Amino acid sequence: MPPALQNPVTLWLLLTAALAGLVFAFMRPELRWKAIGYGAFLLACVVAIWPPYERDGVPGRIKLGLDLRGGIHLVLQVVVEDALNATVDDAVTTARDQAGRKGIQVGAVQRVSPKSFSVQGTEPARVKDMRDLLRDFFRGSWEVRDAGEGGFTVEMTDLYERQVKEQTVQEAIRTLERRVNALGVAEPVIAAQGSRGDQILVQLPGVTDVEQAKRVIKTTAQLSLRLVENTAATEDTLLQGVGGKVPDNMELFSGPGDTAGEPVYYLLRREALITGRDLKSARVGVDENNQPQINFALNATATDKFARETGRNIGRQLAILLDGTVYSAPVIQSKLGSDNRITGRFTTAEADELSKILKAGALPATLRYLQELTVGASLGRDSIRDGVRASIAAMAFITIFMLVYYRFSGLNAVVALAANLLIVLAALAYTNATLTLPGIAGIILTVGVGVDTNVLVFERIREELRNGKTVRAAVQNGFERVWITILDTHATALIAAAFLFQFGTGPIKGFAVTLVIGLVANVFASYFVSKFIFEWVLGKRHVESLSI
Amino acid sequence: MEIIKNPNIDFIGKAKYFASLSVLVLAAGLFWIASGHLRSGVEFSGGTQLILSFKGAPEVDKIRDAVTRVSPGAVIQTYGDPKANKVLVRISQEAPETDLDAPARAVRQALADGYGQNPILESSSEIVGPIVGAELRQKAILLTVLGLLFQLVYIAWRFRGGVWGAGAAIAALHDVLFCLAFLAFFRFEITLNVIAALLTLVGYSVNDTIVIFDRARENMLHRRKEPMAKLLNDSLNQTLTRTIISNGTTFLAVLGLFLFGGEVLRGFGFTMVVGILVGTYSTLFIAVPLVSWWYARQERAGASAKAA
Repeated sequence: MPPALQNPVTLWLLLTAALAGLVFAFMRPELRWKAIGYGAFLLACVVAIWPPYERDGVPGRIKLGLDLRGGIHLVLQVVVEDALNATVDDAVTTARDQAGRKGIQVGAVQRVSPKSFSVQGTEPARVKDMRDLLRDFFRGSWEVRDAGEGGFTVEMTDLYERQVKEQTVQEAIRTLERRVNALGVAEPVIAAQGSRGDQILVQLPGVTDVEQAKRVIKTTAQLSLRLVENTAATEDTLLQGVGGKVPDNMELFSGPGDTAGEPVYYLLRREALITGRDLKSARVGVDENNQPQINFALNATATDKFARETGRNIGRQLAILLDGTVYSAPVIQSKLGSDNRITGRFTTAEADELSKILKAGALPATLRYLQELTVGASLGRDSIRDGVRASIAAMAFITIFMLVYYRFSGLNAVVALAANLLIVLAALAYTNATLTLPGIAGIILTVGVGVDTNVLVFERIREELRNGKTVRAAVQNGFERVWITILDTHATALIAAAFLFQFGTGPIKGFAVTLVIGLVANVFASYFVSKFIFEWVLGKRHVESLSI
Repeated sequence: MEIIKNPNIDFIGKAKYFASLSVLVLAAGLFWIASGHLRSGVEFSGGTQLILSFKGAPEVDKIRDAVTRVSPGAVIQTYGDPKANKVLVRISQEAPETDLDAPARAVRQALADGYGQNPILESSSEIVGPIVGAELRQKAILLTVLGLLFQLVYIAWRFRGGVWGAGAAIAALHDVLFCLAFLAFFRFEITLNVIAALLTLVGYSVNDTIVIFDRARENMLHRRKEPMAKLLNDSLNQTLTRTIISNGTTFLAVLGLFLFGGEVLRGFGFTMVVGILVGTYSTLFIAVPLVSWWYARQERAGASAKAA
């Protein structure tokens, strides 16, 4: 094809001009504009779907859904309580720091629910100061209430809670987008869904390594570097050292030890020196023993803080905690800078995957799978074959029947059906909607409704002819009388389709989309185009009989 | 070519027999469903369904041995064309909310260990957690009822009478229940595709009813004096050829879907095949007679009012 014709608009204009030429040469004046209008629209549809499927590396315009080309469809739930807890924990730290800075003695400051924390045992002389401090610091987003005896309850406002939840879901979506891009998936769908707004739909068409895709998506990738208070081979030994209970400012974790099958338990500071947010980059490297490791670099602010804190804690162990597992806990030998590494027992592939995930950023909250649908490529191919075979069988049967039963007029119906199909496919291509297997079923149903429209008109014309009307009057009356019927039947069918649309789930939505487009296209094709063909063929001549 | 010349069948007179038949069938069907015979697919019940493609011809017995070791009660059957070497595994145990694909992984591992001589080339899976399943079930029922309600309102508005809307909606509801009974009886699973078919059917059944209502509306303009029963019956006869041809062609189109549409569309095709037959029947013997019965009551009331 010459390059000028590659541009669809140019191509369409040229085709339309050619059509207009033919129309002016051969068609009666009163039909010309209608012919050019209808023709131009149908030509636009042809241009829109060309090429329909992939050929010579040019991607096809009809996009196939997951069920036809294979891929993975996940519905995830963001555990927003995680993010709320984290927000409250931050607030707890702030409250404690600020009280310390003002020199106010307080007892315990701790989270009491996912959206509130309590302050207890403020020194009696400073209760007013503490109240002012809390009110000042948590103005707007939090409510401060007196709990008596120098105690306060600080709770998030509903508005702020909602904001935190929304931000969490949005951040999770952005993180997932970055990770999926790192996987190199073409045309992924990642979007919020569900009435509560905490669900995320992930569709990865054409993905074959489902396990990897799921790992990459689900890994929370919460990285933190924390000071080690104590280590031991069992949990009990650790707990004995601190009086049987983990202190408020510490947490207990485990990680693989030097010998396989013998984990090491760690008591870590709750507060992290560095978190995943402080990373500037992460990539795979190798250590002295040629084992894979992950190199990461910190951003400028984090580097300052890290250097200061490591300088102050030389000789202590620093744990590298990733998603609840201590990967390693090296002893701080000297003040550390921007570039650091995570060693562990990785394979190169694991290290590569992990570094990509770390670079894409941590998820703000844990994700839970609610639904998982994976379709293998060969199953998809089978479905296409079956769907196409069923469509062709249906179409062939209808064509033969209409031609036998209505003769010439049947040909008119077949043209209308073809135009109907063309419009549905073009609309799918133009709106980037995907064709799913239920979508193909929707098209077959559209064909059924299209046939009904034709049958309604033709039967009415026959009836008018039986009542002794002339051919032209019969055709005219036939179309006029049937208009109201078609309007009402299509309107009710559209109401049904609109509710199908609300399902919001992939395949059913595909069905609703083709049905809605098909119904609208059908009014155009089986009514207006069909009527035009009758007018054109009957012409101005006196017609004695009609092949119907 | 014409199918029937000037038909004159007394549909409305015979409607009471058919209505009784419908009531009987529906009562039996609802009893069958209520006694737990309606099977729902994984989308609604939650759980795991795997479609595994094996390298060679799969031996279902050996697969069952391997799978039931980790997942007792699993359903195993060949899927689709036997030459495609595909097997469907339905795991009955609930997918845990925290680790949804654990049962699927266990089954794949068990097959690799116990039936490794015939490796799995490709695996498709559908895993639905209990939350989504329940949500979807509620949504499907709600949407069907709302869809019907809106169609009822639209028809009542267009035909200036609630009885027309009610007639169409009751007939459509009749069709949906009928199909559910058939689905239960022939042991089909209620999947999302089947729900789509049922919702389409509601549209199709109402569509079919409206064509005849529309004819009656037209006849009412110039035949005001006649009793409604006769007028409605004539409308049924006048549109009978269209009813047979339109529904006949659509029936054959969905029959093609049922026969050639492959495993995935089998439930959809079956529902549509039954639905179009029942939808046509309910238009003739439920929807129109209901309207006729209503007007007959009105006419009697009017006559007795005049007599008094």
